[in-house]
Amino acid sequence: MANGSLRLARNRGGTPISLAVCAVLAVILVLLGRVQPTLFDRARAFASDRAAPILEVVRVPLQKVEAWAAGLANIFNVYQENLRLKEENSRLRQWQNAALALEQRVKRYRLLLNAVPDPEIGSVTAHVIGRSNRPFLNTMILDAGRRQHLKSGEAVVDDRGMIGRIFLAGDHTSWVILLTDLNSRIPVSIEPGNTQAIMTGDNSAAPILEVSGQGIHLRTGQQIVTSGDGALLPAGLSVGKVFWDGGDFRAGLYADAGHSDDVRVLDLKLPAEQLPPVSAHDLPVTAAGLAPLTPPPPKITQPAPQPAGGSPATAAAGHPSTMEPPAQAAAKAQTQTSAPDSDQSPDDQ
Amino acid sequence: MPGHELYNLPGLRFLAALVPFSLAIIGTVAANFPISVTNGFLPVPLFGLMPVYFWGLLRPDLMPPWAALLVGLSEDLLSGGAPGIWALSFVVSYTFIDRQRDSLASLAGYGAILGFATALLIATGAAFAIVAIYYWRLPPIAPVIVSIAINVLWYVPALWFMGKIQHYLVGPLRSDF
Repeated sequence: MANGSLRLARNRGGTPISLAVCAVLAVILVLLGRVQPTLFDRARAFASDRAAPILEVVRVPLQKVEAWAAGLANIFNVYQENLRLKEENSRLRQWQNAALALEQRVKRYRLLLNAVPDPEIGSVTAHVIGRSNRPFLNTMILDAGRRQHLKSGEAVVDDRGMIGRIFLAGDHTSWVILLTDLNSRIPVSIEPGNTQAIMTGDNSAAPILEVSGQGIHLRTGQQIVTSGDGALLPAGLSVGKVFWDGGDFRAGLYADAGHSDDVRVLDLKLPAEQLPPVSAHDLPVTAAGLAPLTPPPPKITQPAPQPAGGSPATAAAGHPSTMEPPAQAAAKAQTQTSAPDSDQSPDDQ
Repeated sequence: MPGHELYNLPGLRFLAALVPFSLAIIGTVAANFPISVTNGFLPVPLFGLMPVYFWGLLRPDLMPPWAALLVGLSEDLLSGGAPGIWALSFVVSYTFIDRQRDSLASLAGYGAILGFATALLIATGAAFAIVAIYYWRLPPIAPVIVSIAINVLWYVPALWFMGKIQHYLVGPLRSDF
């Protein structure tokens, strides 16, 4: 059907004034959104919470269709795929053994060095109930929210690596901003070399790597892990590998957000630093070679029985040990008993 | 026409006036329903823009500028993007439709689809420009081109559907001129 085949109602709607007003309102909205990006967050969280049961129901048949379609595509190369997986499995077993040995070695080194322990990382497993792939947006919706103690900023990973971060947590659902999204910027570390960089999403499949230091050259094949800067994300999460696309260094991501149905949301809990117990030698005065300050004696409120002709002051002076704490008194006694020994010179002995 | 007297009921006339805007909102909700048959491989069409173009061109009294603004705003709200980007883009596209109504309305067949493609190009181009200014870097162009292609393909069945709605529902109930 063509538009021309229908009757046209002219001059009934958009007058220039209302159009101009709408345009001004829209510009104000854009500016407001720039100043306050979380303007719609509550409404979004409300909408996703209400839609979650429907999404979960609709998702089931679609998952079956997706699995069936994926199986159909792979049916012709099952044999080759099987051989490849066996070969990969044997290689991974070797790496697993190496990783276990290294893990034990690192544990021993940590004990020897009395290193600060790694932060505790809790996790919540959630199902992906929705994905949004728009020209300027790449998001995912999970079926876990504040009720499951999820918070904005937490890392979302699948079994291969990091997928993104939670940017909005509703009661039962959460929105995940993928690493490929235009808004995504996370600090990463490139190994070997511990090169610090910022990984920036640009809505393409491979985010750009921006190295802050000068004179640093990245190489294709280097590993990318999260750096943990800012204490928002755990350090050392696998992200991907470096590759050169002809214009920029980019990250080939390990995780496949398009096919991940179950993901883990990591809750980084930074432990309180465990300080060693304080001894008397740690006190600055002791370190300076001075005796620690004795606390003031407690005041005696109950009047002691007065001896005949004696004043309270002389009574107190006559019994100094009663005003000392027991521990100090014992220490003093020990010092006094050991003093003659210390006065003896080695020649005397 | 059988049952013609029903068409004169004021309640039905009011409901018919709501049909284009409601369809645009339903289209926005459907487009932002975060379930993809292609598993996110293909971008979702801008279903909300199709009724805005169709009735904005044909019956601007039923699709005024504020309706385009609200449809764009609902697109912003539901898509999870920064507020105002699609609201402004839809208004920019509506301005083009308003200015070129005569020439666009005379298009037929492939021309009608080409007309929508032009309005879509303006809306997407405006969104591209706003996003580029917003984040101060150019987004990749390839997803935008794919999105435009998908939208144009979807407009063919959508045009047929909206034509039927206009012919059997909106037109008879609102044929006061």
